[in-house]
Amino acid sequence: MASLGYYLLLAAFVTGAYAAAISVAGARRRSRRLIESGTGAFYLLMGIMLAASAVIVHAFVTGNYAIKYVQRYSDSTQSLAFKLTSYWGGLDGSIMFWVTLLAIFGSVAVYVNRERHRELIPYVVAVISVVEMFFLFLMIVHNNPFETYLTENPADGRGLSPLLQNFYMVIHPPTMYLGFVGCTIPYAFGMAALFTGYLDDSWLRAVRRWTMIAWLFLSLGLCLGMLWAYEELGWGGFWKWDPVENAGLLPWFTATAFLHSVMVQERRGMLRVWNVSLVIVTFFLTIFGTFMTRSGVVQSVHAFGEDPELARLFTAFMIATLTVSFGFVIYRLPLLRARNELDSWVSREAAFLFNNWILLFSAFFVLFATMFPTLSEAVLGAKGRITVGATFFNQWMIPIGLVLLVLTGIGPLLAWRKSTIANLRDQFLFPVASGLVAGAIVLALGIRIWSSGLCFAFAGFVVGTIAQEFWRGARVRQQTSGTDLFTAMIGLVGRNKRRYGGYLVHVGIVLLFLGFAGENFKLQETALVKPGQQVKVGDFDVRFDALKVTDDARKQAVTGYVTAFRNGTEVAKLYPARWFFRGREDEATTEVAIRRSLTGDLYIVMPDFDPGAQTATLEITVTPLINWVWFGFGVLAIGTLIALLPETAFAFAVSRVPANATRAAGTWLLLLAIVLPAAVQAQDGPVGAQAGGGLVGKSEVQRRLEHEVICMCGSSGCVRASLANCQMRPACHGHMAQTALIRKLVDEGKSHDSIIATFVAQYGQHVLDSPEDRGFNRLAWLLPYLLAGAGLVVIIVNARRWSHRPAAAASGVTPATDPALDARLDDELRDLD
Amino acid sequence: MSHKAIKVGLTVFVLVGAFTTLLFTTLQDNLQYYKYVDEVVATSHEWQGKNLQVHGYVVPGSIAWKPNTLEYRFDLQRNGKVMRAYYTGVVPDNFKDDAEVVLTGQLTPHGFTATDMTAKCPSKYEEAPPGAAATRSS
Repeated sequence: MASLGYYLLLAAFVTGAYAAAISVAGARRRSRRLIESGTGAFYLLMGIMLAASAVIVHAFVTGNYAIKYVQRYSDSTQSLAFKLTSYWGGLDGSIMFWVTLLAIFGSVAVYVNRERHRELIPYVVAVISVVEMFFLFLMIVHNNPFETYLTENPADGRGLSPLLQNFYMVIHPPTMYLGFVGCTIPYAFGMAALFTGYLDDSWLRAVRRWTMIAWLFLSLGLCLGMLWAYEELGWGGFWKWDPVENAGLLPWFTATAFLHSVMVQERRGMLRVWNVSLVIVTFFLTIFGTFMTRSGVVQSVHAFGEDPELARLFTAFMIATLTVSFGFVIYRLPLLRARNELDSWVSREAAFLFNNWILLFSAFFVLFATMFPTLSEAVLGAKGRITVGATFFNQWMIPIGLVLLVLTGIGPLLAWRKSTIANLRDQFLFPVASGLVAGAIVLALGIRIWSSGLCFAFAGFVVGTIAQEFWRGARVRQQTSGTDLFTAMIGLVGRNKRRYGGYLVHVGIVLLFLGFAGENFKLQETALVKPGQQVKVGDFDVRFDALKVTDDARKQAVTGYVTAFRNGTEVAKLYPARWFFRGREDEATTEVAIRRSLTGDLYIVMPDFDPGAQTATLEITVTPLINWVWFGFGVLAIGTLIALLPETAFAFAVSRVPANATRAAGTWLLLLAIVLPAAVQAQDGPVGAQAGGGLVGKSEVQRRLEHEVICMCGSSGCVRASLANCQMRPACHGHMAQTALIRKLVDEGKSHDSIIATFVAQYGQHVLDSPEDRGFNRLAWLLPYLLAGAGLVVIIVNARRWSHRPAAAASGVTPATDPALDARLDDELRDLD
Repeated sequence: MSHKAIKVGLTVFVLVGAFTTLLFTTLQDNLQYYKYVDEVVATSHEWQGKNLQVHGYVVPGSIAWKPNTLEYRFDLQRNGKVMRAYYTGVVPDNFKDDAEVVLTGQLTPHGFTATDMTAKCPSKYEEAPPGAAATRSS
């Protein structure tokens, strides 16, 4: 199997080389057949990479520990989900995963644009193939994920680090990679435009969409990374300006800048060199970020190991990329000349330009500060390795962030070309007033931290701007179409998805900033507590109730039982814990307990404990407004999705189900955003209450049974809890009888299944924690899946019906679509822009 | 040279100058020297009272913990040179014997007083995905 995988990688490399060479040849000779052959090879590469992925996933699932990579990152006890995610748990596999994603993304992009941008396609294929070849080359000569042990094969793997065995490991890296990989597509189109000289604005149309997709994934990837840090690592924050975090942020800055400046080019034909350069820089930063974290160039506590060989290969690739890319930009300068000049500094273009400078400056600042240790070492020699801490980043990035926030509000208010004094007054009156009101409220509340106070006031201003934009647009539409205001607003969004989706993204950004501003009001308290003792942090009183040690098949858990009160009333029971995974007892994981609310979280960690003395150390943090960060990302994602929707997708919503459908969809997305983190939280519940020490000598079968069998004592303390989780134990009579029976049967040598049968015969089917997988019980297992399937069918059927309706509806039901009115509306909307 | 070019040039010059000055003045306050244990031990008098990040390995068996507090005392070594370190706070999950740690703090005549600790996973678990912080500090 291992050699099959390796040959597939070789085949992919050769295919990539063929695709690149033949496409370019085809384009130069204007031979359709050659171009098609190249594109075909490009699709084939995706097929090969999928096959190679299948091989390594197969190796992980079947436990083929002869392969070094599989042996290093998985073991036989891991659950299936983590066996699958081990694919990207290490360096070699993550590079392969990267290539696979790039091949998929690239193929989709080429397929979608094959007709519309026919002249660019061969070069797009060539550029993406070359990037893929670079990563394939890395794997083939240096980081082969299919490398095997030469002699004795280990019987079991070393396993994925417990720190990585959580939900975010499943979802965060793929999202981040999709964002990174997505940035390659705009780059390929940009380069194709440079190669061919078709530098009219048509390539931008292909690129804009893909940049938005990449940007969406980058944002979500960053958000998930922050959630991961916050929920799993236990220091009560979400961002530390670590090089690995910064690597994800750098392309985000430049991609954001591009998404804004591209509008200037579309409208005014300016900034053409700038836009091409931004696309190149964004791509370069994704590669540079990878380089930074994989090669050990920058010291980071969670970077991959040091690897000078890898660093050399990357450096060569980056230098080649930069030289070729900017070489062509210079070569094509005559074609990239701007069609217009900046008319006035009080114009939309100027605001965008300013926003671009700041975003670019942010990217370079973060890059500079991240690379500072390496730079200082290069200049001053090994003795002069100097680092800068998070305070330095914050000192700079807080003011920069605030300026960006203000610009978010100013940009939409300025007119293209030149704003007159009259329309400045007209546009700014309401937003500035709302900003001032927000500022006054802040002052009245006695908030005296300048950064947070300004942030709240600016947030008021931006929200004012957005509200005014929606209001005025909807009014115009309402007057022309004669519908109610709400319908008009939905129609407005449908008509100009990019603009109003963009405003929604701005709302998300404002919410994000509210969350950031909350950081300044964080409270933290560390205390050693005995049962019954209370600690006061802000509004909260935290009472420590008990410390319990429990055990299950995978781990031993030490759980603190904590009750939280807010202003005297009980608000939550929380269970901070430390988990000791089997075979990894020296690597305890911290399980954070969080009580969420919109005003702020109560966040409790139990770093130390003493089961003998029943004492524990609690670190209690109150993190105000933090959930607005996650909400902000949710809103931002919805806004981006609206902007991304194809023209036809909104047609049904506008004509048929104006209010409900979109609102429902929004609600569902929001719900999803809330439920996802909540689902993860579920693991933080109590692991069960068991006296410590009573676990010695329990066999595996017995332990398993104690989880499968329900305690039948019927007391309120353990309503349908499994034996292991019964709150009343060990004194509970039902529990004792049942456990004794299990022990007796186990000692008699009965098998697991026959003991289950005995219990069912004695107590009935409901003695089991989950129904047995047979007969009628299967229905209970199947029901959720059936429901999910039915839901899916309903959605598909509805979506199809709605999207077919407009044609029929237009025939007479909606007389509002008068061509004259439409034309007028278009005109007025254009004026608004 | 046209009038406009002079204006643009001057603006750029002033802006770049201002930013560079700002950058370096703020940088001064935030500098931390990044040193390995053996480097610090070799020239310890030079480093006293300076902001330092020290990189080293925990000597096995040296971790001492004052019961019921978060005060730790342990030894850090690299290339045979050993340094005593004190830390008060929540330690990372992977702080243990032989762990590779980076301490932030100041050197005193008694040893290194750390205000922040980050631990690097031992090499066999060194891998962490991009974007995720695998460290914690208080």
